[in-house]
Amino acid sequence: MKRLLIVLLIIGVVSVGFAADGTEQGCILEEPVAVTSAGQSPGALQFTIVAKMIKLEYTFEKLLSVETVDISQFKTLVLVVGASGKGLGAANIDIEAEILRVKSLAEAAEESGVKVVICNLEGESRRGPSSDRIVTELAPFADAYFVKADADLDGFFTSFSEEAGVPLATFEKTVDLKDVLAEYFCK
Amino acid sequence: MALFLTSILFGSFFRPDVRPGYGVTDIGWLSDYFSPLRNTNMDTPVYFMDSGVDGPTFLLMGGTHAREISASTAAIVFIENVAVTRGRVIVVPFSNISAASIADETGKAPHFIPIEGRSGTRFLVYGDRRTDPLDQSIPDPEIFKHAQSDFTLDDGAESRNLNRQYPGVADGNPTQQLAYAIIQLAKTENVDFNLDMHESGTPDSYIDSKGNERSGSSLAYTLVCHPDALEIGAVAIMEIEAFHGVSMKLEESNKAFRGLSHLEIGDATGSLSFLSETPNPGQDSWRDRYDVINDPDYPLSHRAGLQLQIIRSLFGAYEMMIGETIEVENLPSYEEVMQNGIFSYLN
Repeated sequence: MKRLLIVLLIIGVVSVGFAADGTEQGCILEEPVAVTSAGQSPGALQFTIVAKMIKLEYTFEKLLSVETVDISQFKTLVLVVGASGKGLGAANIDIEAEILRVKSLAEAAEESGVKVVICNLEGESRRGPSSDRIVTELAPFADAYFVKADADLDGFFTSFSEEAGVPLATFEKTVDLKDVLAEYFCK
Repeated sequence: MALFLTSILFGSFFRPDVRPGYGVTDIGWLSDYFSPLRNTNMDTPVYFMDSGVDGPTFLLMGGTHAREISASTAAIVFIENVAVTRGRVIVVPFSNISAASIADETGKAPHFIPIEGRSGTRFLVYGDRRTDPLDQSIPDPEIFKHAQSDFTLDDGAESRNLNRQYPGVADGNPTQQLAYAIIQLAKTENVDFNLDMHESGTPDSYIDSKGNERSGSSLAYTLVCHPDALEIGAVAIMEIEAFHGVSMKLEESNKAFRGLSHLEIGDATGSLSFLSETPNPGQDSWRDRYDVINDPDYPLSHRAGLQLQIIRSLFGAYEMMIGETIEVENLPSYEEVMQNGIFSYLN
């Protein structure tokens, strides 16, 4: 169990090293970052654990909405997609209300010049009719996709990325998302 | 009724084959926490593994559903091998021992499965999902209703499913009393965190009788967490994927689905609560042939090894988030179990 701590510390030290050498110029995305779930799976929480590893400046609310936050105070909005019956039940909302919430956020972000990232962090297990519908509804607003590789075996995310001409970054393991974040945020 | 009275008179209650190692410091009974269970087939052994060094208390439960044998096997391996060096672990390997006392109603595996342990042949128990109707002693209702809420299920037999009864009812039916007793144990022993181990069907898709392709179980390879425990669970499954190559799904307790251990034990006691699911081919209704021990894709070593790894990874994640944890020796890793076989860790 010490190994996990040591590895996470090493990841943190290496990431700080990259930040010291990097510059803001050329970064694809910028902080501060608003993170929310799109479908109420715990993927968004997992995103924040990886974000902590590279010391990303973020705010996380799983039910973030345009009624409760001024999205223009952020530079990037990350929508972590994953429809979960348990999560929706825990939040006491249905899928229609959830889609409305995240779509309103994405629209507000676009109007404010805030970049929108659609993220699948849980892979194939979060591919299904509800999750795919969320992605389809949000796709017109996407500036980038961060996707676990096994969620794109059928090219679902690749096709959205290519149609819109926005980047798609894939990673094999959840923890590998840190490399994607480090690259896109110049950390 | 005659069999029930015979059981009372002669004490012919089911007793599992558990061969404790030196790490076990005391053995008690669940009835120590709720005396009405004593001298019934609902009472079950409780194993204490106390380091004597200050630290958290962890409750490990197997056999909530007695056919989900990676759970009871992992619990027995823990009891027979592990020494706790910080904190305290309490293990209930057969949480619903009445369910273990009868064969699986689906008939997909024999009740007792011979295996070769370190000291020769012994038997794994492949029981049923629910309490023996004889022990329940009352007919199943048409519809199951959770005692503390309006939550219902169409299958009245779920009134004999331990993992629908939490937080239990002191003067309820035997399965409700069993859940109540486990809650009393968690409260009395100040359990800081706990894991209820389970199995589901496999994630394999299949063709149904009408020729349609169907998805496999969405529960397989899942760690369900009480909302208060979600961050610890997230760290644990990330470690399992990063270092042991098994990807698991994280889920949060659904507050609308009442009676489940991960939600109700957490709510009733404050213990950070988890439930794990590994894939058991014996729980796939569509399979013609089953091998619950040596299935080529989902052998018991893989499933029980994963359960043991989940325990270890939860200990690590708990330390990251809380600042202290259980420390142990001789808890085999997933890789060690896969290399040596799970039976090499049974006495």
